[in-house]
Amino acid sequence: MIMPEPAPISSPDESASTLEGELVKRARRGELAAYDELVKRYQERIYATIYHMTSNHEDANDLAQEAFIKAFQALKSFKGGSTFYTWLYRIAVNKTINFLKQRKHKHHFSLNDLDFNTEHNPDLVALISEKTPHRDAGLAELQKKLNESLLKLSEPHRMVVVLHDVQGVSHDEIAEIMGCNVGTVRSRLFYARQQLQGHLSEYLQ
Amino acid sequence: MNNNENNFETLKRLMKLKQHEVPPPGYFNNFSDQVISRIRAGEGREAYSLTERLESVAPWLVHFLQIFETKPGLIGAVATSLCLLVTLGVVMGERTDKTAKNILPTAEFASAGTAAASVTASPLVVAADSGGIVASTNPVTSLQPVSTLFGQPNASLFQSASFVPASQ
Repeated sequence: MIMPEPAPISSPDESASTLEGELVKRARRGELAAYDELVKRYQERIYATIYHMTSNHEDANDLAQEAFIKAFQALKSFKGGSTFYTWLYRIAVNKTINFLKQRKHKHHFSLNDLDFNTEHNPDLVALISEKTPHRDAGLAELQKKLNESLLKLSEPHRMVVVLHDVQGVSHDEIAEIMGCNVGTVRSRLFYARQQLQGHLSEYLQ
Repeated sequence: MNNNENNFETLKRLMKLKQHEVPPPGYFNNFSDQVISRIRAGEGREAYSLTERLESVAPWLVHFLQIFETKPGLIGAVATSLCLLVTLGVVMGERTDKTAKNILPTAEFASAGTAAASVTASPLVVAADSGGIVASTNPVTSLQPVSTLFGQPNASLFQSASFVPASQ
């Protein structure tokens, strides 16, 4: 199973959007069945975002659950100015960044396993090809190195690179989620990539 | 910019490795159930921080307070202004009291003379002693000349009592 596709989080078709609006309305009235549907819709994306930020499954699990609980409690304040998932992402992102600020300097990995398809991904196979100086390095080592490099970035830079390069969220949506302008998102992304390139230079030559 | 994008192509391919990191099998089967049962257990109603609660009730106030966080100098200026306002209020209040005392010297004098009575005396009685001015803090009645029920001057209300022993 591959983690949520980097498909855009927006652009649901009209009927799906209407259905979601209906679910949100019902959930605001306290219908837990409707909220359950909403959780099922976004659980993988929210979990993945938090997991890629923390590199720890247990933390991601706790934070994802708390984000959904908090969103439910705050549903009454959801005015519909943005889409529900953007609003939900914002809650999850803020919660994660606050958590990471408190956890500072206490990194401990609890990395999820790589799925079966990893070895068949042509991009990754190419990276660990004969041209790669560390061709004997296993995927697990590469995974560890990648996560270590991500954790060296500041939280806002890491968030931007995770949302864009891993989750496939657009610049505009990231700006909305993180409460900054698109220019800031672009510059953060550029800086984050530069930093990552430096940390992972041995794998990227 | 395009050149930069090309430079990052390999990195972006490497980042795809992250998409292959998956939680334990079946993890998402129970995820929503756990969330819903935590909500049912009332966990969501746990005491959130003051800021979080305030955010749902009065978001404008939270934004206002956030301005202080980003500009610490501003909070000093606001605090100074508030202190000045309070001081000004106290000074103005004292001046008003003095003016009121100047207006009502007779009432004070009269009430001092009848100290024992003035503690419990009704404003009407005090008014009678002070020639029609009521020594009351009520601004509506204090400066009103007191009249009787039938519009007669209050002086006629009280006549000096005399006692003439019955002649035998």
